[in-house]
Amino acid sequence: MIKTCHLGINGGIGQAILLLMLSLAMLLITPSTQAEPPQPSSAALGTTTDSRSAHSNVPFAAAVINPGSGLWREVRQRGGPIEGITQVSGTDAGILISTRGEEWRQLRTEKVIPYSGYLLAVVLAVLVLFRLIRGQLKIHAGRSGMRILRFTYSQRAVHWVAGITFVILGITGVVLLLGRTLLIPVMGNSAFGVIASFSKTVHDYLGPVFVISLVFLFIYYVKDNFFKLKDIQWFAKGGGMFGGHAHAGRFNAGEKTWFWLAILLGIVVSVTGLVLDFPIFGLDRETMELSLLIHGIAAIIVFGISFGHMYLATVGMEGALESMTTGYCDANWAKEHHDDWYEEVKDTAEPAPSEDSPTHGSPGQASPSGA
Amino acid sequence: MANMKFYCDAERCIECNACVTACKNEHEIPWGVNRRRVVTIKDGEAGERSLSVACMHCSDAPCAAVCPVDCFYTTDDGIVLHDKDICIGCGYCFYACPFGAPQFPESGAFSSRGKMDKCTFCAGGPVETHSSDEYRKYGANRIAEGKLPLCAEMCSTHALLAGDADVVSDIYRKRVVNRGRSALDWGVNYQKGSLNLPGK
Repeated sequence: MIKTCHLGINGGIGQAILLLMLSLAMLLITPSTQAEPPQPSSAALGTTTDSRSAHSNVPFAAAVINPGSGLWREVRQRGGPIEGITQVSGTDAGILISTRGEEWRQLRTEKVIPYSGYLLAVVLAVLVLFRLIRGQLKIHAGRSGMRILRFTYSQRAVHWVAGITFVILGITGVVLLLGRTLLIPVMGNSAFGVIASFSKTVHDYLGPVFVISLVFLFIYYVKDNFFKLKDIQWFAKGGGMFGGHAHAGRFNAGEKTWFWLAILLGIVVSVTGLVLDFPIFGLDRETMELSLLIHGIAAIIVFGISFGHMYLATVGMEGALESMTTGYCDANWAKEHHDDWYEEVKDTAEPAPSEDSPTHGSPGQASPSGA
Repeated sequence: MANMKFYCDAERCIECNACVTACKNEHEIPWGVNRRRVVTIKDGEAGERSLSVACMHCSDAPCAAVCPVDCFYTTDDGIVLHDKDICIGCGYCFYACPFGAPQFPESGAFSSRGKMDKCTFCAGGPVETHSSDEYRKYGANRIAEGKLPLCAEMCSTHALLAGDADVVSDIYRKRVVNRGRSALDWGVNYQKGSLNLPGK
Protein backbone atom coordinates (compact mmCIF):
# COMPACT_ATOMS: atom_id res chain seq x y z
CA MET A 1 0.00 0.00 0.00
CA ILE A 2 2.99 2.26 0.38
CA LYS A 3 3.76 1.72 -3.30
CA THR A 4 0.40 2.91 -4.50
CA CYS A 5 0.79 6.23 -2.77
CA HIS A 6 3.69 7.09 -5.03
CA LEU A 7 2.48 5.59 -8.29
CA GLY A 8 1.17 8.92 -9.45
CA ILE A 9 4.53 10.63 -9.33
CA ASN A 10 6.15 10.83 -12.75
CA GLY A 11 9.74 11.24 -13.85
CA GLY A 12 13.10 10.18 -12.33
CA ILE A 13 12.37 11.29 -8.78
CA GLY A 14 9.17 9.30 -8.73
CA GLN A 15 10.99 6.20 -9.95
CA ALA A 16 13.72 6.67 -7.40
CA ILE A 17 11.21 6.94 -4.57
CA LEU A 18 9.41 3.89 -5.96
CA LEU A 19 12.67 1.91 -5.89
CA LEU A 20 13.31 3.10 -2.36
CA MET A 21 9.87 1.99 -1.28
CA LEU A 22 10.34 -1.37 -2.99
CA SER A 23 13.59 -1.95 -1.13
CA LEU A 24 11.94 -0.89 2.11
CA ALA A 25 9.14 -3.32 1.44
CA MET A 26 11.77 -6.02 0.83
CA LEU A 27 13.33 -5.25 4.19
CA LEU A 28 9.92 -5.54 5.82
CA ILE A 29 9.16 -8.86 4.14
CA THR A 30 12.53 -10.47 4.88
CA PRO A 31 12.29 -10.88 8.67
CA SER A 32 8.64 -11.90 8.57
CA THR A 33 9.26 -14.76 6.10
CA GLN A 34 12.27 -15.90 8.07
CA ALA A 35 10.27 -15.96 11.27
CA GLU A 36 7.60 -18.18 9.77
CA PRO A 37 9.30 -21.61 10.05
CA PRO A 38 8.60 -23.56 13.26
CA GLN A 39 12.19 -23.33 14.66
CA PRO A 40 13.00 -19.64 14.20
CA SER A 41 16.46 -19.68 15.78
CA SER A 42 18.01 -22.27 13.50
CA ALA A 43 15.71 -21.82 10.58
CA ALA A 44 16.68 -18.25 9.76
CA LEU A 45 19.82 -19.30 7.92
CA GLY A 46 19.88 -23.07 8.26
CA THR A 47 17.06 -24.09 5.96
CA THR A 48 18.63 -22.67 2.86
CA THR A 49 16.23 -24.06 0.28
CA ASP A 50 13.16 -22.89 2.16
CA SER A 51 14.34 -19.32 2.54
CA ARG A 52 15.46 -19.24 -1.09
CA SER A 53 12.03 -20.19 -2.30
CA ALA A 54 10.55 -17.55 -0.05
CA HIS A 55 12.79 -14.96 -1.66
CA SER A 56 12.34 -16.12 -5.23
CA ASN A 57 10.13 -13.16 -6.06
CA VAL A 58 12.75 -10.71 -4.73
CA PRO A 59 15.53 -10.45 -7.32
CA PHE A 60 18.52 -9.13 -5.30
CA ALA A 61 18.04 -10.65 -1.88
CA ALA A 62 20.87 -12.98 -0.85
CA ALA A 63 19.74 -16.20 0.71
CA VAL A 64 22.79 -16.52 2.94
CA ILE A 65 24.72 -13.67 4.49
CA ASN A 66 28.30 -13.89 3.33
CA PRO A 67 30.63 -14.15 6.34
CA GLY A 68 33.19 -11.92 4.64
CA SER A 69 30.76 -9.25 3.50
CA GLY A 70 30.87 -7.40 6.81
CA LEU A 71 34.66 -6.97 6.64
CA TRP A 72 34.83 -3.24 5.99
CA ARG A 73 31.94 -2.56 8.30
CA GLU A 74 33.92 -4.29 11.02
CA VAL A 75 37.18 -2.61 10.07
CA ARG A 76 35.46 0.77 10.38
CA GLN A 77 34.05 -0.38 13.74
CA ARG A 78 30.49 0.49 12.73
CA GLY A 79 29.07 -2.20 14.98
CA GLY A 80 31.24 -1.37 17.98
CA PRO A 81 34.92 -1.87 18.73
CA ILE A 82 36.52 -4.95 17.23
CA GLU A 83 40.06 -5.97 17.93
CA GLY A 84 41.90 -8.27 15.58
CA ILE A 85 44.88 -10.54 16.03
CA THR A 86 48.35 -9.29 15.15
CA GLN A 87 51.91 -10.53 15.55
CA VAL A 88 53.07 -6.98 16.26
CA SER A 89 53.04 -5.94 19.89
CA GLY A 90 52.21 -2.37 20.73
CA THR A 91 49.46 -0.10 22.02
CA ASP A 92 46.19 -0.78 20.19
CA ALA A 93 48.08 -2.80 17.54
CA GLY A 94 45.07 -5.06 16.96
CA ILE A 95 42.80 -2.17 15.98
CA LEU A 96 42.85 -1.53 12.24
CA ILE A 97 40.95 1.73 12.25
CA SER A 98 40.34 3.83 15.36
CA THR A 99 37.32 6.04 14.87
CA ARG A 100 37.78 8.22 17.96
CA GLY A 101 40.87 10.02 16.72
CA GLU A 102 38.91 12.22 14.35
CA GLU A 103 36.54 13.39 17.10
CA TRP A 104 39.54 14.16 19.27
CA ARG A 105 41.21 16.06 16.46
CA GLN A 106 38.15 18.23 15.87
CA LEU A 107 37.63 18.94 19.58
CA ARG A 108 41.25 19.88 19.99
CA THR A 109 41.86 21.96 16.89
CA GLU A 110 38.44 23.59 16.62
CA LYS A 111 37.45 24.02 20.27
CA VAL A 112 40.18 23.62 22.88
CA ILE A 113 42.96 25.54 21.11
CA PRO A 114 40.99 28.61 19.94
CA TYR A 115 38.88 28.95 23.08
CA SER A 116 41.98 28.60 25.28
CA GLY A 117 43.50 31.51 23.43
CA TYR A 118 40.33 33.59 23.78
CA LEU A 119 40.10 32.81 27.50
CA LEU A 120 43.64 33.98 28.23
CA ALA A 121 43.16 37.07 26.06
CA VAL A 122 39.92 37.99 27.84
CA VAL A 123 41.49 37.53 31.29
CA LEU A 124 44.45 39.71 30.34
CA ALA A 125 42.15 42.34 28.86
CA VAL A 126 40.02 42.41 32.01
CA LEU A 127 43.11 42.85 34.18
CA VAL A 128 44.45 45.67 31.99
CA LEU A 129 41.04 47.33 32.10
CA PHE A 130 40.88 46.92 35.87
CA ARG A 131 44.32 48.45 36.22
CA LEU A 132 43.37 51.41 34.03
CA ILE A 133 40.16 52.06 35.96
CA ARG A 134 41.23 51.36 39.53
CA GLY A 135 45.00 51.73 39.42
CA GLN A 136 46.99 50.12 42.22
CA LEU A 137 44.95 49.38 45.32
CA LYS A 138 46.68 51.47 47.99
CA ILE A 139 46.82 51.13 51.76
CA HIS A 140 44.45 54.02 52.50
CA ALA A 141 45.83 54.79 55.95
CA GLY A 142 49.42 54.54 54.76
CA ARG A 143 52.04 52.25 56.25
CA SER A 144 51.80 51.93 59.98
CA GLY A 145 55.42 51.02 60.70
CA MET A 146 54.15 47.93 62.50
CA ARG A 147 54.28 44.49 60.95
CA ILE A 148 52.42 41.23 61.59
CA LEU A 149 53.63 37.72 60.80
CA ARG A 150 51.33 36.36 58.09
CA PHE A 151 53.15 33.38 56.54
CA THR A 152 55.81 31.21 58.18
CA TYR A 153 58.94 30.17 56.34
CA SER A 154 57.58 26.70 55.56
CA GLN A 155 54.25 28.12 54.34
CA ARG A 156 56.08 30.45 52.00
CA ALA A 157 58.38 27.68 50.81
CA VAL A 158 55.40 25.46 49.95
CA HIS A 159 53.66 28.36 48.21
CA TRP A 160 56.67 29.24 46.08
CA VAL A 161 57.52 25.67 45.08
CA ALA A 162 53.91 25.19 43.96
CA GLY A 163 53.68 28.68 42.49
CA ILE A 164 56.91 28.65 40.51
CA THR A 165 56.35 25.14 39.12
CA PHE A 166 52.76 26.18 38.32
CA VAL A 167 53.88 29.21 36.32
CA ILE A 168 56.58 27.26 34.45
CA LEU A 169 54.12 24.45 33.70
CA GLY A 170 51.57 27.02 32.58
CA ILE A 171 53.94 28.80 30.23
CA THR A 172 55.37 25.59 28.73
CA GLY A 173 51.85 24.18 28.42
CA VAL A 174 50.60 27.27 26.62
CA VAL A 175 53.63 27.11 24.32
CA LEU A 176 52.65 23.54 23.38
CA LEU A 177 48.95 24.39 23.08
CA LEU A 178 49.05 27.69 21.22
CA GLY A 179 52.59 27.72 19.79
CA ARG A 180 51.60 26.42 16.39
CA THR A 181 48.97 29.15 16.04
CA LEU A 182 50.90 32.05 17.56
CA LEU A 183 54.63 31.32 17.45
CA ILE A 184 55.27 29.31 14.26
CA PRO A 185 54.08 32.15 11.99
CA VAL A 186 56.58 34.41 13.75
CA MET A 187 59.67 32.21 14.07
CA GLY A 188 59.13 29.27 11.73
CA ASN A 189 58.75 25.65 12.81
CA SER A 190 62.47 24.80 13.06
CA ALA A 191 63.12 27.42 15.74
CA PHE A 192 59.81 26.68 17.41
CA GLY A 193 60.70 22.96 17.42
CA VAL A 194 63.62 23.73 19.74
CA ILE A 195 61.41 25.75 22.09
CA ALA A 196 58.64 23.15 21.97
CA SER A 197 61.05 20.29 22.63
CA PHE A 198 62.47 22.17 25.63
CA SER A 199 58.96 23.03 26.82
CA LYS A 200 57.80 19.43 26.59
CA THR A 201 60.81 18.10 28.51
CA VAL A 202 60.41 20.72 31.25
CA HIS A 203 56.64 20.16 31.37
CA ASP A 204 57.04 16.38 31.65
CA TYR A 205 59.67 16.48 34.39
CA LEU A 206 58.25 19.35 36.43
CA GLY A 207 54.70 17.98 36.42
CA PRO A 208 55.27 15.39 39.18
CA VAL A 209 57.01 18.07 41.29
CA PHE A 210 53.85 20.17 41.06
CA VAL A 211 51.71 17.18 42.03
CA ILE A 212 53.72 16.73 45.23
CA SER A 213 53.73 20.46 45.98
CA LEU A 214 49.96 20.53 45.51
CA VAL A 215 49.58 17.98 48.30
CA PHE A 216 51.69 20.12 50.62
CA LEU A 217 49.87 23.28 49.53
CA PHE A 218 46.62 21.67 50.58
CA ILE A 219 47.97 20.51 53.95
CA TYR A 220 49.55 23.86 54.79
CA TYR A 221 46.71 26.14 53.71
CA VAL A 222 43.45 24.22 54.11
CA LYS A 223 42.95 25.21 57.77
CA ASP A 224 42.00 28.85 57.16
CA ASN A 225 40.36 28.24 53.79
CA PHE A 226 37.11 26.60 54.89
CA PHE A 227 34.17 28.74 53.87
CA LYS A 228 32.26 30.43 56.68
CA LEU A 229 28.81 32.02 56.75
CA LYS A 230 30.17 35.56 56.70
CA ASP A 231 31.87 34.82 53.37
CA ILE A 232 28.44 35.25 51.77
CA GLN A 233 28.53 38.90 52.86
CA TRP A 234 31.96 39.25 51.29
CA PHE A 235 30.61 37.98 47.98
CA ALA A 236 27.52 40.20 48.30
CA LYS A 237 29.74 43.26 48.68
CA GLY A 238 31.92 42.16 45.75
CA GLY A 239 34.90 41.92 48.06
CA GLY A 240 34.82 45.66 48.60
CA MET A 241 36.02 46.18 45.05
CA PHE A 242 33.14 48.55 44.27
CA GLY A 243 33.19 50.63 47.42
CA GLY A 244 32.17 49.72 50.94
CA HIS A 245 34.09 47.37 53.17
CA ALA A 246 33.89 43.60 53.19
CA HIS A 247 34.92 41.90 56.40
CA ALA A 248 37.38 39.03 56.04
CA GLY A 249 39.35 36.64 58.19
CA ARG A 250 42.89 35.49 57.44
CA PHE A 251 41.77 34.68 53.91
CA ASN A 252 38.86 36.44 52.28
CA ALA A 253 36.18 34.56 50.36
CA GLY A 254 37.85 35.35 47.02
CA GLU A 255 41.11 33.84 48.20
CA LYS A 256 39.25 30.83 49.52
CA THR A 257 37.55 30.35 46.16
CA TRP A 258 40.90 30.54 44.44
CA PHE A 259 42.34 28.03 46.91
CA TRP A 260 39.61 25.46 46.29
CA LEU A 261 39.59 25.99 42.52
CA ALA A 262 43.36 25.62 42.45
CA ILE A 263 43.21 22.45 44.54
CA LEU A 264 40.31 20.81 42.69
CA LEU A 265 41.41 21.76 39.19
CA GLY A 266 44.97 20.97 40.29
CA ILE A 267 43.90 17.42 41.18
CA VAL A 268 42.20 17.01 37.78
CA VAL A 269 45.26 18.36 35.97
CA SER A 270 47.58 16.21 38.09
CA VAL A 271 45.75 12.94 37.50
CA THR A 272 45.38 13.48 33.75
CA GLY A 273 48.92 14.79 33.57
CA LEU A 274 50.37 11.69 35.22
CA VAL A 275 48.43 9.54 32.74
CA LEU A 276 49.99 11.48 29.87
CA ASP A 277 53.41 11.50 31.47
CA PHE A 278 53.84 7.73 31.38
CA PRO A 279 52.99 6.28 27.97
CA ILE A 280 55.05 3.18 28.84
CA PHE A 281 52.14 1.68 30.75
CA GLY A 282 50.39 0.90 27.48
CA LEU A 283 47.23 2.91 28.10
CA ASP A 284 45.04 2.89 25.01
CA ARG A 285 44.54 5.88 22.75
CA GLU A 286 41.05 6.70 24.01
CA THR A 287 42.31 7.12 27.57
CA MET A 288 45.14 9.33 26.36
CA GLU A 289 42.85 11.40 24.13
CA LEU A 290 40.36 11.97 26.94
CA SER A 291 43.15 12.78 29.40
CA LEU A 292 44.66 15.32 27.05
CA LEU A 293 41.32 17.06 26.48
CA ILE A 294 40.50 17.25 30.21
CA HIS A 295 44.09 18.22 31.04
CA GLY A 296 44.05 21.09 28.56
CA ILE A 297 40.63 22.45 29.53
CA ALA A 298 41.20 22.26 33.30
CA ALA A 299 44.72 23.65 33.03
CA ILE A 300 43.77 26.63 30.90
CA ILE A 301 40.93 27.53 33.30
CA VAL A 302 43.14 27.35 36.39
CA PHE A 303 45.94 29.19 34.58
CA GLY A 304 43.55 31.92 33.50
CA ILE A 305 42.22 32.41 37.03
CA SER A 306 45.77 32.43 38.39
CA PHE A 307 46.42 35.62 36.40
CA GLY A 308 43.96 37.39 38.70
CA HIS A 309 45.69 36.02 41.80
CA MET A 310 49.14 36.87 40.47
CA TYR A 311 48.12 40.41 39.53
CA LEU A 312 46.41 41.24 42.83
CA ALA A 313 49.15 39.68 44.92
CA THR A 314 52.01 41.51 43.20
CA VAL A 315 51.63 44.85 41.44
CA GLY A 316 47.87 45.14 41.82
CA MET A 317 47.76 45.85 45.54
CA GLU A 318 50.16 47.76 47.72
CA GLY A 319 51.56 45.70 50.58
CA ALA A 320 50.28 42.33 49.36
CA LEU A 321 53.44 40.71 48.00
CA GLU A 322 55.63 41.31 51.04
CA SER A 323 53.71 38.87 53.23
CA MET A 324 54.65 36.05 50.86
CA THR A 325 58.27 37.22 50.43
CA THR A 326 59.24 38.44 53.92
CA GLY A 327 56.47 36.68 55.79
CA TYR A 328 55.23 39.94 57.33
CA CYS A 329 52.44 42.26 56.31
CA ASP A 330 51.87 45.83 57.38
CA ALA A 331 49.42 46.23 60.26
CA ASN A 332 47.34 48.77 58.36
CA TRP A 333 47.18 46.49 55.33
CA ALA A 334 45.89 43.71 57.59
CA LYS A 335 43.35 46.07 59.14
CA GLU A 336 42.02 47.15 55.75
CA HIS A 337 41.93 43.79 53.97
CA HIS A 338 41.60 41.16 56.70
CA ASP A 339 40.02 43.03 59.62
CA ASP A 340 38.67 39.99 61.47
CA TRP A 341 42.07 38.32 61.30
CA TYR A 342 43.73 41.60 62.39
CA GLU A 343 41.57 41.66 65.52
CA GLU A 344 42.84 38.18 66.39
CA VAL A 345 46.53 38.84 65.84
CA LYS A 346 47.01 42.58 66.43
CA ASP A 347 48.82 41.86 69.70
CA THR A 348 51.62 40.15 67.75
CA ALA A 349 52.40 43.32 65.80
CA GLU A 350 56.00 44.39 66.09
CA PRO A 351 57.90 47.43 64.82
CA ALA A 352 59.03 46.98 61.24
CA PRO A 353 62.77 47.37 60.64
CA SER A 354 63.60 50.64 58.89
CA GLU A 355 63.79 50.39 55.14
CA ASP A 356 67.51 51.21 55.11
CA SER A 357 68.56 48.15 57.06
CA PRO A 358 68.08 44.85 55.25
CA THR A 359 65.64 42.53 56.93
CA HIS A 360 67.54 39.57 58.26
CA GLY A 361 66.44 36.59 60.16
CA SER A 362 63.65 34.10 59.89
CA PRO A 363 60.22 35.26 61.02
CA GLY A 364 60.00 32.24 63.24
CA GLN A 365 57.90 29.11 63.05
CA ALA A 366 54.94 30.16 65.20
CA SER A 367 51.56 29.90 63.56
CA PRO A 368 50.53 33.39 62.47
CA SER A 369 46.85 32.68 62.58
CA GLY A 370 46.81 33.45 66.28
CA ALA A 371 45.16 30.15 67.08
CA MET B 1 52.64 14.06 -10.27
CA ALA B 2 51.60 10.84 -8.82
CA ASN B 3 49.35 10.41 -5.83
CA MET B 4 50.91 7.52 -3.96
CA LYS B 5 48.64 5.11 -2.13
CA PHE B 6 48.72 1.69 -0.50
CA TYR B 7 45.94 -0.81 -0.97
CA CYS B 8 45.71 -4.20 0.69
CA ASP B 9 43.56 -6.80 -1.03
CA ALA B 10 41.82 -8.64 1.80
CA GLU B 11 41.05 -11.60 -0.50
CA ARG B 12 44.75 -12.17 -1.14
CA CYS B 13 46.53 -11.37 2.13
CA ILE B 14 47.58 -14.63 3.79
CA GLU B 15 48.96 -13.08 6.99
CA CYS B 16 52.52 -14.16 6.25
CA ASN B 17 53.94 -10.97 7.79
CA ALA B 18 56.66 -10.80 5.14
CA CYS B 19 55.82 -7.11 4.54
CA VAL B 20 56.42 -6.42 8.23
CA THR B 21 59.74 -8.21 8.17
CA ALA B 22 60.84 -6.63 4.90
CA CYS B 23 60.04 -3.17 6.22
CA LYS B 24 61.90 -3.72 9.48
CA ASN B 25 64.94 -5.03 7.67
CA GLU B 26 65.03 -2.51 4.83
CA HIS B 27 64.98 0.48 7.17
CA GLU B 28 66.78 -1.06 10.17
CA ILE B 29 63.85 -0.06 12.38
CA PRO B 30 64.60 -0.19 16.11
CA TRP B 31 63.10 -2.66 18.54
CA GLY B 32 59.53 -1.88 19.56
CA VAL B 33 58.78 0.15 16.44
CA ASN B 34 56.68 -1.32 13.63
CA ARG B 35 55.94 0.83 10.64
CA ARG B 36 53.74 -1.90 9.20
CA ARG B 37 51.66 -4.63 10.79
CA VAL B 38 49.22 -7.30 9.70
CA VAL B 39 45.89 -7.49 11.53
CA THR B 40 43.56 -10.47 11.25
CA ILE B 41 39.84 -9.95 11.79
CA LYS B 42 37.67 -12.87 12.95
CA ASP B 43 40.69 -15.10 13.41
CA GLY B 44 39.62 -18.75 13.13
CA GLU B 45 36.01 -17.92 12.27
CA ALA B 46 34.10 -17.88 9.01
CA GLY B 47 34.88 -14.67 7.17
CA GLU B 48 38.42 -14.39 8.51
CA ARG B 49 40.39 -11.74 6.64
CA SER B 50 43.83 -10.24 7.10
CA LEU B 51 44.96 -6.76 6.19
CA SER B 52 48.41 -5.23 6.15
CA VAL B 53 48.32 -1.69 7.48
CA ALA B 54 50.81 1.17 7.75
CA CYS B 55 50.66 4.91 7.22
CA MET B 56 48.05 5.41 4.50
CA HIS B 57 49.47 8.79 3.45
CA CYS B 58 46.12 10.55 3.84
CA SER B 59 45.22 13.54 1.72
CA ASP B 60 43.93 15.40 4.78
CA ALA B 61 46.31 13.84 7.28
CA PRO B 62 45.01 14.04 10.88
CA CYS B 63 48.57 13.71 12.22
CA ALA B 64 49.59 16.87 10.39
CA ALA B 65 46.50 18.68 11.66
CA VAL B 66 47.17 18.02 15.35
CA CYS B 67 51.00 18.21 15.37
CA PRO B 68 51.86 21.03 17.81
CA VAL B 69 55.14 21.75 16.03
CA ASP B 70 53.79 21.37 12.46
CA CYS B 71 56.52 18.91 11.43
CA PHE B 72 54.51 17.05 8.75
CA TYR B 73 54.53 17.80 5.05
CA THR B 74 53.17 16.15 1.93
CA THR B 75 55.53 15.56 -1.00
CA ASP B 76 54.61 16.18 -4.64
CA ASP B 77 53.91 12.45 -4.85
CA GLY B 78 51.27 12.69 -2.13
CA ILE B 79 53.51 11.00 0.45
CA VAL B 80 53.11 12.26 4.03
CA LEU B 81 56.51 12.69 5.69
CA HIS B 82 57.72 14.37 8.86
CA ASP B 83 60.82 16.12 10.14
CA LYS B 84 62.42 14.28 13.06
CA ASP B 85 64.58 17.29 13.89
CA ILE B 86 61.41 19.20 14.77
CA CYS B 87 59.31 16.35 16.25
CA ILE B 88 59.06 16.54 20.05
CA GLY B 89 57.58 13.08 20.66
CA CYS B 90 54.30 14.30 22.17
CA GLY B 91 52.25 11.45 20.69
CA TYR B 92 49.34 13.59 19.43
CA CYS B 93 49.72 12.17 15.90
CA PHE B 94 49.28 8.70 17.37
CA TYR B 95 46.03 9.78 19.06
CA ALA B 96 44.65 11.33 15.87
CA CYS B 97 45.76 8.69 13.35
CA PRO B 98 42.98 6.17 12.57
CA PHE B 99 45.51 3.51 11.51
CA GLY B 100 47.86 3.61 14.50
CA ALA B 101 50.73 4.37 12.13
CA PRO B 102 52.91 6.70 14.25
CA GLN B 103 55.33 4.72 16.41
CA PHE B 104 57.56 5.88 19.23
CA PRO B 105 60.84 4.37 20.40
CA GLU B 106 61.31 4.59 24.15
CA SER B 107 63.84 7.19 25.17
CA GLY B 108 65.02 9.15 28.18
CA ALA B 109 65.25 8.36 31.86
CA PHE B 110 61.56 7.50 32.24
CA SER B 111 61.04 5.73 28.91
CA SER B 112 59.00 8.57 27.49
CA ARG B 113 58.39 8.85 23.78
CA GLY B 114 61.29 9.51 21.46
CA LYS B 115 61.01 11.02 17.99
CA MET B 116 58.05 9.64 16.11
CA ASP B 117 58.75 7.05 13.42
CA LYS B 118 56.35 5.95 10.73
CA CYS B 119 56.13 4.54 7.22
CA THR B 120 57.76 6.89 4.71
CA PHE B 121 56.49 5.04 1.61
CA CYS B 122 60.22 4.25 1.30
CA ALA B 123 60.76 7.91 0.43
CA GLY B 124 63.32 8.91 3.08
CA GLY B 125 62.91 12.26 4.74
CA PRO B 126 63.69 15.98 4.63
CA VAL B 127 67.47 15.61 4.61
CA GLU B 128 69.96 15.01 1.81
CA THR B 129 68.81 12.06 -0.30
CA HIS B 130 70.81 8.85 0.25
CA SER B 131 72.87 10.45 3.03
CA SER B 132 73.73 8.41 6.11
CA ASP B 133 71.72 10.94 8.08
CA GLU B 134 68.65 10.13 6.02
CA TYR B 135 69.11 6.39 6.39
CA ARG B 136 69.63 6.64 10.16
CA LYS B 137 66.56 8.82 10.76
CA TYR B 138 64.10 7.75 8.08
CA GLY B 139 65.43 4.58 6.46
CA ALA B 140 66.02 3.76 2.82
CA ASN B 141 64.89 6.07 0.02
CA ARG B 142 63.68 3.67 -2.67
CA ILE B 143 61.42 6.23 -4.32
CA ALA B 144 64.51 8.29 -5.22
CA GLU B 145 65.90 5.16 -6.90
CA GLY B 146 62.71 4.76 -8.91
CA LYS B 147 61.49 1.81 -6.85
CA LEU B 148 58.25 1.29 -5.01
CA PRO B 149 57.95 0.42 -1.28
CA LEU B 150 59.62 -2.91 -0.55
CA CYS B 151 56.66 -4.31 1.41
CA ALA B 152 54.45 -4.15 -1.69
CA GLU B 153 57.16 -5.10 -4.17
CA MET B 154 57.92 -8.37 -2.44
CA CYS B 155 54.37 -9.34 -1.40
CA SER B 156 54.16 -12.95 -2.55
CA THR B 157 50.40 -12.94 -3.22
CA HIS B 158 50.41 -9.39 -4.58
CA ALA B 159 47.87 -8.52 -1.91
CA LEU B 160 49.65 -5.34 -0.93
CA LEU B 161 49.63 -2.81 -3.75
CA ALA B 162 51.57 0.45 -3.70
CA GLY B 163 51.90 3.18 -6.25
CA ASP B 164 49.93 5.86 -8.02
CA ALA B 165 46.30 5.72 -6.87
CA ASP B 166 45.01 5.47 -10.45
CA VAL B 167 47.22 2.49 -11.26
CA VAL B 168 46.47 0.75 -7.97
CA SER B 169 42.73 1.15 -8.43
CA ASP B 170 42.96 -0.07 -12.05
CA ILE B 171 44.70 -3.24 -10.89
CA TYR B 172 42.20 -3.80 -8.15
CA ARG B 173 39.21 -3.09 -10.40
CA LYS B 174 40.42 -5.70 -12.90
CA ARG B 175 40.82 -8.18 -10.09
CA VAL B 176 37.30 -7.62 -8.84
CA VAL B 177 35.83 -7.99 -12.33
CA ASN B 178 37.76 -11.19 -13.11
CA ARG B 179 37.22 -12.60 -9.67
CA GLY B 180 33.43 -12.36 -9.91
CA ARG B 181 31.00 -12.31 -7.06
CA SER B 182 32.14 -15.68 -5.79
CA ALA B 183 35.36 -14.23 -4.42
CA LEU B 184 33.72 -13.13 -1.21
CA ASP B 185 32.20 -16.56 -0.89
CA TRP B 186 35.47 -18.44 -0.69
CA GLY B 187 35.45 -20.87 2.18
CA VAL B 188 31.67 -20.88 2.42
CA ASN B 189 29.56 -23.92 1.62
CA TYR B 190 25.89 -23.27 0.96
CA GLN B 191 24.85 -26.94 1.06
CA LYS B 192 22.22 -27.82 3.58
CA GLY B 193 23.72 -29.04 6.82
CA SER B 194 27.20 -27.79 6.01
CA LEU B 195 29.45 -27.13 8.98
CA ASN B 196 30.80 -24.00 7.31
CA LEU B 197 27.49 -22.26 7.24
CA PRO B 198 27.49 -19.01 9.14
CA GLY B 199 25.16 -18.79 12.07
CA LYS B 200 25.35 -22.48 12.90
